Amino acid sequence: MVNKHDVKRRMRQLMDEYIHEPQQPDYVLDESEMMVHIGPQHPIQPGPFLIDLKLKGETVETAKLYMGYGHKGIEKILEGLTYIQGLPVTDRICYLSALSNNEAYVSSVERLLDIEPPERSQYIRVIMQELSRIQSHLLGIGEYATDLGFVTMFLYMIREREYVLGLIEDITGARITHAFPRFGGVREDIPDGWREKAVDVLAMVNEKCEMYKELFSDDSVYKMRTVGIGTLTKEDVIKVGLTGPALRAAGIDYDVRRVYPTLTYPDIDFKVQTAKNGDIFDRVMVRIAEIQESCWIIEQALDQMKPGPLFPEGLPFGRRTPSMRVPPGEAYVPVEDPRGEMAMYIRSDGTDKPYRVKIRGPAFSLMQGLPPMLENVYIADVPAIAASMDSCNSEADR
Amino acid sequence: MDYLIGGLYYILGNENWWGPWIRGICGLIVMGAILVFAMFTVWLERKYAGDIQSRIGPNRVGGSHGELQLIADAIKLFTKEDLKPDKVDTPLWAGAPILMFGSALLMLVAIPFGAFVFYGKDYPVAVTQFDVSILYIEAVSAIGIVGIFMAGWGSNNKFSVIAAFRNMARMIGYEVPLGLTIVSVAIMAHSLNIVDIVSAQSHIWYVIVAPLGFVIYMVALIADLGRIPFDQNEAEEELIAGWATEYSGMRFGLGYFAEYIHMVLGACITVILFFGGWNLPGILVNLHPVFGLLPFAWFVFKVVLVLMFIIMVRWALPRIRIDQVTTLGWKVLLPLALLNLAWTSVIGVIW
Amino acid sequence: MDGETVLDSLKAQFPDAITQSEIDPKPPYIVCANVSRDRIVDVCSYLKDELQFDRLSGITSVDFPDANKFEVVYLIASYEHSVMVKLNADVPRDDNPSIDTVTAVWWHANWYEREVHEMMGIYFNGHPEMTVLVLGDDMMGDWPLRKDYEMYPGRVDAKYPYEDDNVSIVGEWPLEKKPWPAKRYYLE
Repeated sequence: MVNKHDVKRRMRQLMDEYIHEPQQPDYVLDESEMMVHIGPQHPIQPGPFLIDLKLKGETVETAKLYMGYGHKGIEKILEGLTYIQGLPVTDRICYLSALSNNEAYVSSVERLLDIEPPERSQYIRVIMQELSRIQSHLLGIGEYATDLGFVTMFLYMIREREYVLGLIEDITGARITHAFPRFGGVREDIPDGWREKAVDVLAMVNEKCEMYKELFSDDSVYKMRTVGIGTLTKEDVIKVGLTGPALRAAGIDYDVRRVYPTLTYPDIDFKVQTAKNGDIFDRVMVRIAEIQESCWIIEQALDQMKPGPLFPEGLPFGRRTPSMRVPPGEAYVPVEDPRGEMAMYIRSDGTDKPYRVKIRGPAFSLMQGLPPMLENVYIADVPAIAASMDSCNSEADR
Repeated sequence: MDYLIGGLYYILGNENWWGPWIRGICGLIVMGAILVFAMFTVWLERKYAGDIQSRIGPNRVGGSHGELQLIADAIKLFTKEDLKPDKVDTPLWAGAPILMFGSALLMLVAIPFGAFVFYGKDYPVAVTQFDVSILYIEAVSAIGIVGIFMAGWGSNNKFSVIAAFRNMARMIGYEVPLGLTIVSVAIMAHSLNIVDIVSAQSHIWYVIVAPLGFVIYMVALIADLGRIPFDQNEAEEELIAGWATEYSGMRFGLGYFAEYIHMVLGACITVILFFGGWNLPGILVNLHPVFGLLPFAWFVFKVVLVLMFIIMVRWALPRIRIDQVTTLGWKVLLPLALLNLAWTSVIGVIW
Repeated sequence: MDGETVLDSLKAQFPDAITQSEIDPKPPYIVCANVSRDRIVDVCSYLKDELQFDRLSGITSVDFPDANKFEVVYLIASYEHSVMVKLNADVPRDDNPSIDTVTAVWWHANWYEREVHEMMGIYFNGHPEMTVLVLGDDMMGDWPLRKDYEMYPGRVDAKYPYEDDNVSIVGEWPLEKKPWPAKRYYLE
């Protein structure tokens, strides 16, 4: 029989050898200050990252963010795979907005190949992007609501999200990781009968969003927690360099679909949703308004779509060529992710594998802007602010 | 019926040497029944929460409504490994759930859970009954605060310490309006004895006479119980599990269960103080001796309604921040409680 | 404000620093230019102050071991107008490749430069904090994204089994369709 104390001693030895503390700056703590780590594993975080908070009583003095716990080396992986092999890998950069990542990759490669997808494929891609935006916003607001203690809103939003995911599954066949667009078109057409079902589901989502807006605006406890907290004014937002709903909540009217329009966005009429102050309340309201706007965009796209081919005529290669060679050059096409501007800078040198892929994700700048926002707030506001920015850790770490 | 009541007096009275022992065993049975009722409350919360959130609650164990789910959870908690972290302060850490559970049990002994009314005389179902029972109940519920602080401090964990401090701030701030409201009701009833308070409400319920007192009491009760919107000591996002971070198995189960017993007792006191307890119109009760059991059922029905209100408040509101909680307690509730005290003093003097 | 105005004013202001510029004929019509590495901070401050380019979209780097250089790529955009500028700066691939930092111009260039440093090894002079961002704490000095980084011995890139474009082992598209709609239990 092994002695229990020997085992414990050996385990302590091993732990001392192999476990390193994260690098901390030289904080000198006074008597009234305390250092709290909202650590790599925490019940409510969407992914592992570490925030060090220096507390004085219940107020946070400084905060420091360490990330990288989910680094997978996707950029290096993509250099060793052919272009079509790299398409499912880009799904997994941010699993919540997989279609936007696919779209950014495929658009950049199409720029390099100098081809353009026909109109029906463009409309289908627009519809998929907006559906992905709806479901990502629903989940993001739901996670933020659980961080406030408002568990019921999370379950309501999950209920709607199931219907939207059913719509996405009918076309692409998967709920999360789709790999749906192809170079020059899309993989599948819209099945019959999908259109009527989509109209019903979107009407329901629209009506529920009205109810959510009322629920959030009339709840005085919720307003006590969120109005005036975590404010980012226009100057702050420009200094941090954000994009996406966090930028639009501060009042700046910047949307990648309007500024760098790709696909058929110029033909579709929609409004860019903004709000006045930049606090938590406004960010959530902007997201709910964006869901409703996406429903309207999908309806217009379904009306304007005409039957046609999915791939352009006379492609110089087969449709699913694994060893397709891409002419040398660089391409950068930004796409509106639910969180901001998503783009991939692809550099090719004429072979069948990319030479360098840089993934510019929006969550990176959202995480960069988080520590300055956390100064001089109460510790109970820290998760509310972090969740209202809705940053996806796997996208920032890649 | 007279022989039955005479026989009960003989058994439970002091004439023989075994009278007090039988009374003690009946008291233990009452305590056990309340623990079972607290288990029912946990089941009620899970099903009602599922209803609010448009889903079904537990529906597998014990029939199609999951009635025995709590038994399964209790078995799970009993069979979990009891981990003791290395550097905790053992007397504090181990004694904290005992103190919380003990405070709930001490409260239990003085509260009458309904009554049987025979020939116009109330026989309340309580373990004991004495003249200052309301003040005693209020005082003993404050022992739970010490219990939670012991759990937070003894756990050697920064998150638990923050939770313990928040807890103290909240509970101390809300005990004062609670006590003032109870005193105002006692003024109206001219006595501190619980049974007298109930019989003083036979004409009109106190919730109609002093509605402000009822509102203050409800808010202070939800704050005292530590439920959302006053959930700061167990806020899951920043404080992982608050005071319960280092507990596992039945130690955690004791503290969790003590909170639910406290909720049941708080609901009972609400019904007794403001909703008339077990009073039914006399004509109905005196029809037939069997109707003497009706006041008990009426009391339980009102307690379940109050419990459902407390559960609904939990699932419908987000959490308040700790500095806003103390602001609410000291700057809003305390002046209102004093106002209520003045109003009920006027009423108590006149009537 | 469109791309030609921007390019002309840049060329007028820095005639010697900007070489080899063009405007991309395809959307989003990026203005590409090569900048010499000593003048990068001047060019960037001119872009931000005069031409209202107040958002830095990203900083990347590409490794060319054959041409013995690194290329640092700056992608600059704006909140007011819809022109995007791409600046390429060459850094020679010797023992200490370095370039000046642009954190004085844009505050949010901080993390991008940290990531370029830990992945490629290019040092940014004047940066306030050059530590690891995405990698582990003990991986500083590994420079993973260089072309001569060996992840593990014997690693080769994926090699697809056939080179000929006309041969395909997969059948024609579309494959046979399944009947729709399928019954989904959670939606009823």
